[in-house]
Amino acid sequence: MGFDTLIGALTDVLTSGSAIFVLLGVLLGLCFGVIPGLGGTTALALLIPATFSMEPLDAMYLAGGVMGATSFGGSITAILLNTPGTAPNAATTFDGYPLAQQGKAGMAIGASATASALGGLIGLFTLLLFIPIAKEVVLLFGPAEFFLLTLLGLTAIAVSARGKLLRGLIAGGIGLMLAFVGTDGITGQERFVMGTNYLWDGVPLVPTLTGMFAISQMIELALKGGVVASEGGGLSRGISGIGSGIRSVFQHWTVLLRGSAIGTIIGAIPGLGGTVAAFIAYTSTVQASRDPDSFGKGNIVGVIAPESANNAKDGGSLIPTVAFGIPGSAETALFLGILVLHGIDPGPSILLYNEREIYGLIVALTLSAVGASIIGLLAARWLVLITFVNVHILVPVVVAVSLTGVYVLDGKPYDVILCLMMGIVGYVMIRFDYPRLTLVIALVLGETCERSYHQVMMLSDNHMLDFILSRPAATILLAATVLTLCLPFARKLLERHRAEARN
Amino acid sequence: MKGKWPIAKYLGSGLLALATAAFAMPAAAEWPNDKPIRFVIPYSPGGGFDTIVRAFAPALEKELGAEVVPENIAGAGGTKGAATVHRSDPDGYTIGIYNIPGFTVNQVIGKDMGFNLDEVTWIANLATSRYAVAVKGDSEIDSVEKLCSLGREAKMSDTGASSTASVTTRIAFQLLDCPISDITGYKGSNDAMIAVMRGEVDATVKPIASLKKYTDSGDLKIIATFTKDDVLEGIPGATSIGKPELANFDLRRIIGGPPDLPPEIVEKLSAAFIAAANSAEVQEWANGAGVELEPVGADEASAIMSDLATFYAQYKDMLMAK
Repeated sequence: MGFDTLIGALTDVLTSGSAIFVLLGVLLGLCFGVIPGLGGTTALALLIPATFSMEPLDAMYLAGGVMGATSFGGSITAILLNTPGTAPNAATTFDGYPLAQQGKAGMAIGASATASALGGLIGLFTLLLFIPIAKEVVLLFGPAEFFLLTLLGLTAIAVSARGKLLRGLIAGGIGLMLAFVGTDGITGQERFVMGTNYLWDGVPLVPTLTGMFAISQMIELALKGGVVASEGGGLSRGISGIGSGIRSVFQHWTVLLRGSAIGTIIGAIPGLGGTVAAFIAYTSTVQASRDPDSFGKGNIVGVIAPESANNAKDGGSLIPTVAFGIPGSAETALFLGILVLHGIDPGPSILLYNEREIYGLIVALTLSAVGASIIGLLAARWLVLITFVNVHILVPVVVAVSLTGVYVLDGKPYDVILCLMMGIVGYVMIRFDYPRLTLVIALVLGETCERSYHQVMMLSDNHMLDFILSRPAATILLAATVLTLCLPFARKLLERHRAEARN
Repeated sequence: MKGKWPIAKYLGSGLLALATAAFAMPAAAEWPNDKPIRFVIPYSPGGGFDTIVRAFAPALEKELGAEVVPENIAGAGGTKGAATVHRSDPDGYTIGIYNIPGFTVNQVIGKDMGFNLDEVTWIANLATSRYAVAVKGDSEIDSVEKLCSLGREAKMSDTGASSTASVTTRIAFQLLDCPISDITGYKGSNDAMIAVMRGEVDATVKPIASLKKYTDSGDLKIIATFTKDDVLEGIPGATSIGKPELANFDLRRIIGGPPDLPPEIVEKLSAAFIAAANSAEVQEWANGAGVELEPVGADEASAIMSDLATFYAQYKDMLMAK
């Protein structure tokens, strides 16, 4: 039944001339994605007023186009400048940027485009399969599961920083401390707000991330001088790598599938979002790899995993939407806002009454995931040239654009100041070799982790473990957390065993 | 020298004030002229406050003959946007929608919001949502009595402890002399309602309009409404369960402006809001979105606000406790 409707929706788009809205959305999404500080949420928030006079379905096409395109757009800056264009692209910088430095930016963009498109398609395909049981899936995840998921994420942080476990834990600890600033989610009391109502809502993610990655990277580049692609030599300006980038995704199809699966699952859980999805996809790929030491130095697999995850999450984030009419991400929240603005009250019967809008959005997301990648590949030839621009031109442009992006988000001057401060902190972290994403992930997870912990304690009348063990999903997550924690030790033991056997 | 200056200064400012007054009078009479009217929404786009403002804006433009620009100033539980309106010039070119009774409760417990709620010029109340108690669709609990005699504290779900729904839940069940444990921290009212469906809590108190979509689908079941009369068939209202004062709990969509907004501007704005609420386009939107419009003008809005302040002041100790 779902697929008939889907094909109907697809022919609707292609024959009605409404495809122009999808294309418009894609172009807009790419632009907002490429600019650090601006992301899909900002794009949709700015679009909401503009959609008021549009048909609801056209508004869906536009929203879908934007949603599907931003994360690929963001990977371009992540690869070329070590500056994630949107928060979920932060993990892409780990291996994408080293590739660009080696003059293999074309290969990285090719892989990112292909992984984004295929990840997006896998996420949407999974969504279609899940539609009949979407309600059950959403009801599976309560505070206990949220708590354990965030715990799993924090565990992944701890074991991900290979060889610098202590530094990773310090950065993660600081991230958690920042996460506790602001109104307590349970009691409503303010904590560590230092007398300013700016901090009531906590330390905002986007200015922090933009500072940590964009600004600090620009400081680093400015001090170093030269051009980004210094290691590969000035001769390799051709983009011969694109084809091999595309092929690499098919060669590493298990990485693609794992990344997409992680993206879809985490996307379905409100509050975690693409940043966490991409990070967990990246760390699990490193964990599963036979050569974990090659990551962070330009392993193409390190681009495929996070990029497939952060596009697959769009499909996943629609699972709560089709089940109950609730958002799974900031973008879907705005998408539902557009519906309400048009006098449609989304609820559990959203699929019954608003099938056209939902499938319209799915089709737009599908077209957008593929379309953005095609446009990206076509433009790659010129985009790569960015890495050959002298940093004295590059740095002022990126700093100005990023700070403008941060300001546009909420119109708060404090956000700009915070972003600059985080830029300096981030630069210090680069210098002393502390992992920055660890801090950011802890900031994202801290709030949910703390809140759901208190909820589970209240719900279980302080018998947390019994409560967890009585829920199958929670039990599995608990086991996964313990396993993740043991993995590095198990691997070490195995290596020692092998070494002994060899001797 | 020193003695002369203050006089000159007072004279100067006096003249300036006169001049301003002289200019202000015709300006007020002509209001609104060529400047757009800024309509501040203290939350991000897409929420309940945002959509009602955006739904009203076009109709309001027609009524006033001036451009109305909705502006989202989110943050600090809605107080940041409200404080921005408060600091604006009382010229009728900045108005806002307020989180009521959320701010009333803040004021009662003495929380610093960066502005004094008593000074706001109230313009209109657009809609009022009433609360109801809901349980899981197939729950054996079918009355408040049963909910209150589970042999343990009934578990309820809410967003933050300072949210209007949580405040309502705690005061209402104390009035009912019913032991509850209010599990706060859910991300939004939808999440709090889904917690009931998941079965981790027994019930939740939410606006009837928000509950409707889940009761229509059979996922939730309403067992009582906090309304004077029995508004839903077969479901007791506040009077029927013997606690008529529960009908005082509600959620407002109230419009206000900076302190000392000239009465003639308030009057025009007020009339424009009521006319907009009755326009075909807004009515159509409200029907689709499940919003019950109940437009009243400035005097009624001010009366509502002072009634609410008195009402919540009775429960000050209870509100301070959490």
